[in-house]
Parts: sequence; C-alpha cells; structure tokens
Amino acid sequence: MGRILIVDDTMFMRTLLKNILFSGGHDIVGEAADGAEALARYRELKPDLVTMDVVMPNVNGIEALKAIKASDPSAKVIMCTAVGQEQMVKLAVKSGARGYIVKPFQAPKVLEEVKNVLSA
Amino acid sequence: MFDEEGYRKLFVEESRENHENIVNNLLALESGEDQQTAIDEIFRSAHTLKGMSASMGFDAMEHLCHSMEDVFSLIRNGQREVTASLTDLLLTCTDTIEGMLDAIEAGGNPSDEQSGSLVQELRAFTEEESRDEPEASYEAAPPEPAGEGDCRPAYTLTVAIDPSSTMKDIRAMLLLQNLQEIGTILSTTPSQELLEDGKFDGPFEILIESGAGEDALRTVASGTEISLLDLSASQSPPAVSPGMNEEDRTPEQNLEPQTAVPSAQVQRVTKSEKSREIKNIRVDIQRLDRMMNLVEDLVINRGRLELIAKKHGIKEFDEALSMVGRSVSDLQNLMMGIRMMPLERIFNRLPRVVRDVANHDGKEVEFTIEGGETELDRSMMDGLSDPLLHIIRNAVNHGIETPEIRKTCGKPPKGSLRMTARRDKDNVIIEIEDDGAGIDPEKLRKKAVSKGLMTPEAAASAAKDDLVSLLFEPGFSTADTITDISGRGVGLDVVKKTIASLKGTIKVETEVGRGTKFELVLPPTMAIIDVMMVHINGMRCAIPVGNVVEVAQTKMEAIHRIGNSEAILLRDQTLPLHRLEDMFGRAEKSDTLVVLQNDGRRCCITVDTVDGQQEVVVKPLSRIAGNCRGISGITIPGDGDVVPVLDVNTMV
Repeated sequence: MGRILIVDDTMFMRTLLKNILFSGGHDIVGEAADGAEALARYRELKPDLVTMDVVMPNVNGIEALKAIKASDPSAKVIMCTAVGQEQMVKLAVKSGARGYIVKPFQAPKVLEEVKNVLSA
Repeated sequence: MFDEEGYRKLFVEESRENHENIVNNLLALESGEDQQTAIDEIFRSAHTLKGMSASMGFDAMEHLCHSMEDVFSLIRNGQREVTASLTDLLLTCTDTIEGMLDAIEAGGNPSDEQSGSLVQELRAFTEEESRDEPEASYEAAPPEPAGEGDCRPAYTLTVAIDPSSTMKDIRAMLLLQNLQEIGTILSTTPSQELLEDGKFDGPFEILIESGAGEDALRTVASGTEISLLDLSASQSPPAVSPGMNEEDRTPEQNLEPQTAVPSAQVQRVTKSEKSREIKNIRVDIQRLDRMMNLVEDLVINRGRLELIAKKHGIKEFDEALSMVGRSVSDLQNLMMGIRMMPLERIFNRLPRVVRDVANHDGKEVEFTIEGGETELDRSMMDGLSDPLLHIIRNAVNHGIETPEIRKTCGKPPKGSLRMTARRDKDNVIIEIEDDGAGIDPEKLRKKAVSKGLMTPEAAASAAKDDLVSLLFEPGFSTADTITDISGRGVGLDVVKKTIASLKGTIKVETEVGRGTKFELVLPPTMAIIDVMMVHINGMRCAIPVGNVVEVAQTKMEAIHRIGNSEAILLRDQTLPLHRLEDMFGRAEKSDTLVVLQNDGRRCCITVDTVDGQQEVVVKPLSRIAGNCRGISGITIPGDGDVVPVLDVNTMV
C-alpha cells in the first residue's frame, strides 16, 4: 500500500479522497491546497503517489504536475478530473500523469487506479 | 472517519465560500476591474462547486454549476462577451445556488425544479456560441524521431476498454504511453490518433516491439478499465517508422521550457501559501460555543474557590489560585477574541444589493466599503445583517437621485455610497453615508402632522433633529410611494429595535441636497459586560454599567405619588421611580436610588445596597424560561449565585 499526497483546493474533496484511500489501506502522508504547495510537499514527503486536482488557484494541477515531474521524473501522479476536462487531462498525460480518476469519485475505481499506478 | 453529516457540513461551508467568490467576481467583472482574474476565479469556483455537488449526489446543483462552468469556459477563451443580461442570468443562478445550499444545509436535496430553466438558458447561450467555434485543441506532441531498429521481439496486443469508462480516449492514451515505457509501438489499428481522440468502438490492436517480455506487457495492458483480450508474438518485422520510442518518454523532455513552472517561483509562492494554511483552521461554531461555556464555568468556579480560600485563609492555596485566576482570565480573553469575526462576512453581500437596487431604479452608484476587517462578536453578526441591508437599500432607493436629476443639481451622475466600519475604545462604529438628496425636514414636518404624531404647532416649532428622529417611529416613511425594494413592510423603527437588541444605538444626520449619514454604534461583544451589583429586597441583581447614571441617597419624603405611579424630584428633574416589587418583592428600607438611562431617557429604581462593579459573563435566558420582561439575561458571579441582569431598555 502506498504513501499518498492529496492535492485539491477544497477540504471537502481532500476529505472524501482521504477516506476512500484510507479505506483501501493507503497511508495519506500529506495534503496540499494548491499546485505550489503540492510541489513543496512532494519534495518534503517524497510520496509514492500524488492525486492531483486539475483546476486550482495560483498554480493549477497541470503546472504542478510538470513541476513535480521536473523535480522527480519517476513521480507517479494521478489526475483528479471531471467530465468536460478531457483536453486538460490529455495535456496532463502528455506531461507525465500516470492515471486519472473522475469526479464524482467511485471508491472501487479510485482504489483500482491507485493500485494499478502504484504497481506499475 | 467522516459520516454523511460531516461531509454535508464541510460541503456547505466550502460551497458557500465558492458561491460568494462567484458573486463577488461577477460584480468585479461588471465594474470593469481585472477581467481575466475575475473570469478565471468564476470558472474555478463553478468548477469546484460542480465537482463537490456531484460527489454529494446533488444533481440539480451539479447541472447548474456545470452549465455556468461551460459559459465561463467560453468567456475565458474569448468566445463570448460578458453582457449585462448574461450577468443578470448568472446572478440569478447564484441566487438559486444559495437557495440550494440553504436547502442542503437543512438536510434536503434540491430538485431541478428551480434550476432547470436556468440550465436551459445557459445552454442556449453556449450552444449558440459554439456552433462555429473550432474545438479547443491541446498541443499535439511533436513528431517523434525514428527509433533505432534493434532486434527485439514484436507482439500484437488486442485490448478492450471498459465501455463504462468515462474518458476512453484518455484511457487509450495512458495505455499507449505506458506501453511505450517498455517498448516501441510500431502501429495501432485504428491509428494512434483516432484512439487518442476516442474515435473507436470495441477492441483495438497494438503492434509493439519490446524486450521486456510477455509478462510485463500483460501487466501494463491490464490496467484500470482495460482488458487484454489477446497477446501473440508477431511475425512481422519491425516497422520503419515507429510512432514514438521509449527514450522520448522521460517526461521532463515533454515540458515546454516556458510552461514549466520555475521551481524558485513555486517555492516562493509555497511559503506564503503554507503560512496561510497554518494560520487558519476551521472550527464548528457550536464547538466554540461549548468551549466558551466551559470557560465561563471555569470563571465561575474560580470565583467560588477564591471565596473558599478567603474563608479559610490558606496562604499557599491563595497564591496558587491567583495563578490559576490569571490563566483563566487569559483564556477567557482569548475565547472572546476567537468569537470575533470580521464584518466583511456580512459586508460582502451588500455590493450585490446595491447593484440590484441601482439597476432597478435606473441609478448609478459607486459603493465603497472600508474597514471590513473590523471585528464583532459572531453572535451579533446575524442580527446586524438585516438592518444594514435595509439602510443600504434605503440609501440607493430614496437617497441617491437618478443621473438626470443629479446632473441638474450639479452633482456627478454617479452617486456615492460609502460604508465604513471602525473600532474606537469601547465600540464598533459603522457609518453609511450617501451623497443623495438628503431628507427634507419640511416634508417630515408635514408628515408628522398628517400622521398625527405632532400637533401643527409642535411640528412648526420642532427642531430638525426632533423631526429626523421621527424616522424611527413605527409606520413613518418619507417615500411618497412604497416600492418593492425598500418598502418591504419593515421600517427604520424595526432597524432601530434590532440595533437596540444588540445593545447598540443608531443616529441619522441629513442635509437636504447633500446626503444622509447613518451611524451605528455597537458594543463589540454582548457576552461580557461591566455591571453594577446591587441588592434589592435582599436579592442580588446586576445592572449594566452603561445604563447607570448615578447613585444617590434620598429621603422617603422626596417621593411623590403621581396617579398610580411614583416619581422623585432629583436635582430639579422629575424621574419616574420603579420599585421592581413585582420582581423582587417589597423592600423594607430601600433608600438608595440608582438613576438609570437608556437612549436619553431616564428613570430610577430603589435598591438596598450597592455592592460594587464587576465584569461578568452574561448568559441568555434559557428557552425554557422564555422571554422575561425586564431581564436581559443572567450571570453567575464567583459564589455560584444566579443573578439576573436588568434590561433597562424596558424600564425607561
């Protein structure tokens, strides 16, 4: 099971995701409320996996993903997305995202994606 | 672990923040401030609201926010202009969202009933616009150089993507990308381009050359929502021009130098963001109230301990207790501080009101707010909201003139409405000032007579201040007609009553042709006040010090009976005298007088003794006790007694 950093600008989504991941036996090592904080937390915590919201204030998810990948090319980042954001997610995949989960989150799908990305 | 209720609370709380953000930025957009930031913020908040409501299963709200997000997506891309009618539509949407949040907070799940037509309208907006728009495109990966043809075995994979997958194009893209990491994709059927655009139905084939072995390929090709239907060694020789090769896969090479975030910059932002995170935590208001109650209990029990220590004269105990006392006092002050909230919380709603009323009346108003950071006890916030709303509505509706009239008066066409809040030594002062028509005392004079509030003679000789104070009399309105904006059956008399219930006062100054200014003076908190402790018929009672004018000794002979009541002549002033017998019973020898005042009116009561002054925590009467005329609350001093606090307002 993995050590996971959750990045989302709302506490609501972070809590939701935290509980899903926790129920799957994962360890939530940290949370960040925007892209800038995400990079700092990533460097500090070196998590096995990051769940990254796409739309966030200041530094958005794509920029944060790029910055994290620049700092650690082996970083495993899963994008948290919603219907209508396909183009953004494609950009993220091209920038090195390893997976994606779609809001509203379905716990089994989230856990499956996390497991697959962690084991890859 | 979080339960349903916990999620709901958090959802409502964060949704309200986002809702407010949308409203404020819509207004900012209209006023022509930094457009791009406002548009980005609205888009972001609508998107966040959509995601959160979808997660909670609040479909109606999700649909509405989704439609708003779509509209702003177009605006952001410059495909749509923000017009006044669009702003109106969007503001109506925010009103609906607010209503939905109220319903959700109350435990419901709003239906599409209210929002359905709005969604239609928003959709009409986006569809009309997007007809001839090219699809937003993302940057395609640059053409990949040809790989070196080595002699790794080739395989054909037949793969299917789960039909329930929400974004099968991205799933395909991820699969291809993951396969690239362990090999070189030679070709796909249909083409890689079609796969990445989601233009495929059913299974597809991938021809890959890889030295990683079948097992590795199986693992990668059986990811989320992907099933590997077939894997076979391929006889075909490596193709000449592979799509991509694995050396290209290091992600940092995919980074455009100009779009990659320079890490130094990120670090700097991080610092300030981090400190924000640490500085603020969310606490449930009810928890805070419970904590406050506990602190109050602690204060009361400290007082009891002090009495015990005094009685037994134990020096060591006394010293320890004084240390405890100091900590308790600090704790109490701290808790009071935590209960304080910046006035912004209610001020933020007002620009919207000004806009609506001004639009409705065809007026132009520049509304400025200063001192929103001034703090007030949380418990007073709710009560203050309506009076402010009323005054602001009045100012735009009745105060500020239409641009045409203003021009003929030599004023700028745009009226100014200023709201300022500040803290002086003991009070919070809120001023609302407009540069409108002011209130005509002659009109007031006529109205006073026609309403029978004054005789024609009295009205003729009445001073301006007396006339203006009539505004606060029930049923007195200066507007010639009652409008649907200001005249909602609530007058300034209700405003005054509400402010008085918050222990505040309201004053108005007006100058014909120059404008009107309302001044609200409020205590920053109602929970802790200075009181004078007195004994009446052997029972203790507390009087707020702010209401006490003086304490005097008097002879019974100075008391005169006027009809059914008593009065006393004190320093050439006749003051009504109350003995509070119905509350405390008749006292034998109450010859100490306490002169009380509220809002300029005075009276006096008789007491046995005056015990002194002290700071106390006032608790409201419990709901079981109900409303008790003459008593505004109770306090529990050190000895554990329950002492009523007099409500002087009802006596004078």
